[in-house]
Amino acid sequence: MSELFVELFSEEIPARLQINARNELKKNIKNFFIDNQIKFNENFNVYSTPNRLVLHVDKIPNEIKLSSEEIKGPNVNAPEKALEGFIRSNNTTLEKIFKKNTEKGEFYFFNKKSRKIKVSDLLEKNLSEILKKITWNKSMKWANYDLYWGRPLKSILAIFNKKPLNFDFNHINSSNKTFIDKSLEEGMKIFNDFHSYLKFFKQKGILIDQDLRKKIIQNKIDEIINKKNLKIEQNDRLIDEIVNIVEKPAVIVCDFDKKFLNIPSEILITTMQSHQKYLPTFDKKNNLTNNFFVVSDIKDTKGFVKLGNERVIEARLNDAEFFWEKNKTQNLVKQVDKLKNINYFKGLGSYFDKIQRMRKLSSLISDDFLISKDKIEIASSICKVDLMSDLVGEFPELQGIVGGHLARFQGFDKEVCLAVSEQYLPNGMESKLPKKMYSVALSLSDKLDSLVGFFGINLKPTSSKDPYAIRRMAISLVRLIVENEIKIKLKDLIVYTCSVYRDQGYEFDIKKIQNELSDFIIERLKNYLKEKKIRQDIIESSTFLLGLDDILKAYKKSICLNKNIKREIGFETIAAYKRSSNILNTEEKMSTESLGFADPGLFKNDYEKKLYKKINDIRKYFLSIGKDENYEESLKILSSIKNEVNDFFDNVIVNDEDIIIKKNRLELLNMLCKTFDNYFNFSKIDA
Amino acid sequence: MVSKIKKKILSFQDTIFNLQKYWSKKGCVILQPYDLEVGAGTFHPATTLRSLGPKPWKTAYVQPSRRPTDGRYGDNPNRLQHYYQFQVLIKPSPKEIKKMYFNSLSSIGINHEEHDIRFVEDDWESPTLGAAGLGWEVWCDGMEVTQFTYFQQMAGVECKPVSVEITYGLERLCMFIQNKKSVFDLIWNDEGITYKDVFHQSEKEFSAYNFEYANTDNLFKIFEMLEEETKLLVEKKISLPAYDQCLKCSHVFNILDARGVISVAQRAEYIARIRELTKSIGKVWIESQS
Repeated sequence: MSELFVELFSEEIPARLQINARNELKKNIKNFFIDNQIKFNENFNVYSTPNRLVLHVDKIPNEIKLSSEEIKGPNVNAPEKALEGFIRSNNTTLEKIFKKNTEKGEFYFFNKKSRKIKVSDLLEKNLSEILKKITWNKSMKWANYDLYWGRPLKSILAIFNKKPLNFDFNHINSSNKTFIDKSLEEGMKIFNDFHSYLKFFKQKGILIDQDLRKKIIQNKIDEIINKKNLKIEQNDRLIDEIVNIVEKPAVIVCDFDKKFLNIPSEILITTMQSHQKYLPTFDKKNNLTNNFFVVSDIKDTKGFVKLGNERVIEARLNDAEFFWEKNKTQNLVKQVDKLKNINYFKGLGSYFDKIQRMRKLSSLISDDFLISKDKIEIASSICKVDLMSDLVGEFPELQGIVGGHLARFQGFDKEVCLAVSEQYLPNGMESKLPKKMYSVALSLSDKLDSLVGFFGINLKPTSSKDPYAIRRMAISLVRLIVENEIKIKLKDLIVYTCSVYRDQGYEFDIKKIQNELSDFIIERLKNYLKEKKIRQDIIESSTFLLGLDDILKAYKKSICLNKNIKREIGFETIAAYKRSSNILNTEEKMSTESLGFADPGLFKNDYEKKLYKKINDIRKYFLSIGKDENYEESLKILSSIKNEVNDFFDNVIVNDEDIIIKKNRLELLNMLCKTFDNYFNFSKIDA
Repeated sequence: MVSKIKKKILSFQDTIFNLQKYWSKKGCVILQPYDLEVGAGTFHPATTLRSLGPKPWKTAYVQPSRRPTDGRYGDNPNRLQHYYQFQVLIKPSPKEIKKMYFNSLSSIGINHEEHDIRFVEDDWESPTLGAAGLGWEVWCDGMEVTQFTYFQQMAGVECKPVSVEITYGLERLCMFIQNKKSVFDLIWNDEGITYKDVFHQSEKEFSAYNFEYANTDNLFKIFEMLEEETKLLVEKKISLPAYDQCLKCSHVFNILDARGVISVAQRAEYIARIRELTKSIGKVWIESQS
């Protein structure tokens, strides 16, 4: 049993590309072993540092035995050249070739005997292809070469069973050597196995294994925050990025001047996190402190790293403070008019036009939400002013949040400020969801205005392209509604939005927008359900008979059915429906010739009568429930038909000789199915 | 123990000398700044045009760079509307470029074994040049001191071979080396002249010009004239003079932008117009190379 060990040394590959390359390489090599029926340790790993992408697989046999196989060659009528080629490529002679008839005509064949193949040969032959299959979200060329890679690739080390594998990958020849110094790219060293490689770099403080780096960083941080009584915010994305931009992590605690804590904390946090990859700290009351962590790629023996980073943050915070002091005194209301100069989108007017529309829309929504019309109109009017501030120019990701702070400083109502700050939330699947009704109303009107506008000027996303992130907008709309359990008439709101656009002189095809946008939002609901791990068949059926105004209902029913499908109430409901529908499906005419009801006068026994009565009871139940349907209760009531259905099928033969009786019984079953449709379209649910 | 001989601080001008000497030894043609207002060293024809086409090329030069919108009347310790870049361009990108870069840092006193030097993803794009590249910003103890870019496209044309561009922000780098919190405190030479002595008045006056006094009506007209001239020169197939006119267009646009008279929609349109000019010039230049 042997190990395969490959290292690709390159200039610094960005964190996201590294993570992707690791996954791709892992998948590709796994497929190679499986396709070639080579045993391997499936718990293998791919590691990386910014400069090294490392593959290590062990427990691989040195040889594999291939059983004999019949290899098909060219058609007997093909030119002679083809036959010659076939003989050559199989390394055989004419005598060993034979003809055989197949469905597609007569062909040459060759019997390849069972044989042993060295895995090292197979690897040398295939590694180049395996590496080529790595796809990069962004790749580049360098010098005169044609190879595309995340960043310039400098060397390939490839070892199998302690011996070098020799292959060419574009202009690079593999060897058993790699660079020791990643900066100067000096000091080539030979390695013959993974263990000595790991050990060598560990002695230099370099950790090849990203998980180990993560653990060490986290432990060190935990140690310090426990000692100092601090907290950090769980931020997996940032930690994962940090882990992948260092090879020998050293955690350094730095601080900045406490006077900067007067600036809104989001600005400080953004400066630290997204601009400098620092980890801000908080005290036990969740207030930002002036301590922060820097993860350095070098031990700070002389204190230069701490000093340098503290100077950088001071310069950046000085800038932020300057802008905050300047912007906070600029009156928001007085600036609203200036939004006329800022284009919202070509064909959809200025931001001033947009807030006029949002004001009308949110005002209509406020009637449903029972919130103050005045307040939501104020929020709508000032919500985009921060786009003109220096702060948002400097920190575009804080749009909205900055507006909220400016409004708070200028004494606006608390709920108005919060709505301004949360107007862009949620932003996709993972993002935080606003809960306060003013925030929800403002966010809804922003998203609806955008969606209707983009569909109006025909810029809806295609299957591959969504440059304006319209899908995310729609999924956020779905989340706003279902997660806050809001009952609104989305259809009417879309029509109203169109009319608001029309008042401004935008002539959209309202019918078209309604249809397309409605389908689009319903598709997003389905994606959302998928994310919530709802069964595919339930998702497919969820929106049957339920339209845009019912997405909350569709969502809740799906969740309920998904939860109960393996439990008695779900199981029995589906069983009852399926028994009935299966018979109906065999009677094709039923669907076209159904009267929609059975005639009790034609019933011949109690089983039919009891089933009929039960169906009617359930119908009454569905008629009686108003808007506050308890979906689990409904399911329970449907499942309670179990006995009547079983008695019916055990004792009644639907296929009666008398065609009228038979038809009446089919009508009875059809009634059952139609009644069940009140809850869900069970026909596509797998039993 | 404190060393008895106080280490001499590397002045701003010595930093430039050292970099020039270093890259000269590496075979670069040392050029002088281009004599037009440009936004970055990349705009120097020795980079834009020379990075196009198959001929090898190595150069290094200082380029004064103008960013009218970044002016702060000399009040902000970190922002300037006029600053210096030290630019290196090598085509094709050499294998040992990272070693060369690290050694250039040691030539100005930055030892990579004592500092946290990081290559942080930063893909570069210049809409006006129709250019794009992949690379990094280089951080030294958290401060961005260099842009390191492999050109993939220039003037709308795919680069083959690929050039590597190294752009040092000289003020930032010197603030780091000299341990200064304000750019105006930088020591310019060994006679005690500071950056403030040399440039403070200029920052103040040009900020006033860029933000308050530039005659926008005239500048709009000048833009049109220069654009027309560029097109004419492209027709005559003289790429270098055409490129000069295009650079002037770009600067006029930058001042108009600083004056705040260009709306968002207009902005995209102006950028597209300059890009079209660059593209047409690039074509003429490539033809002249074969």
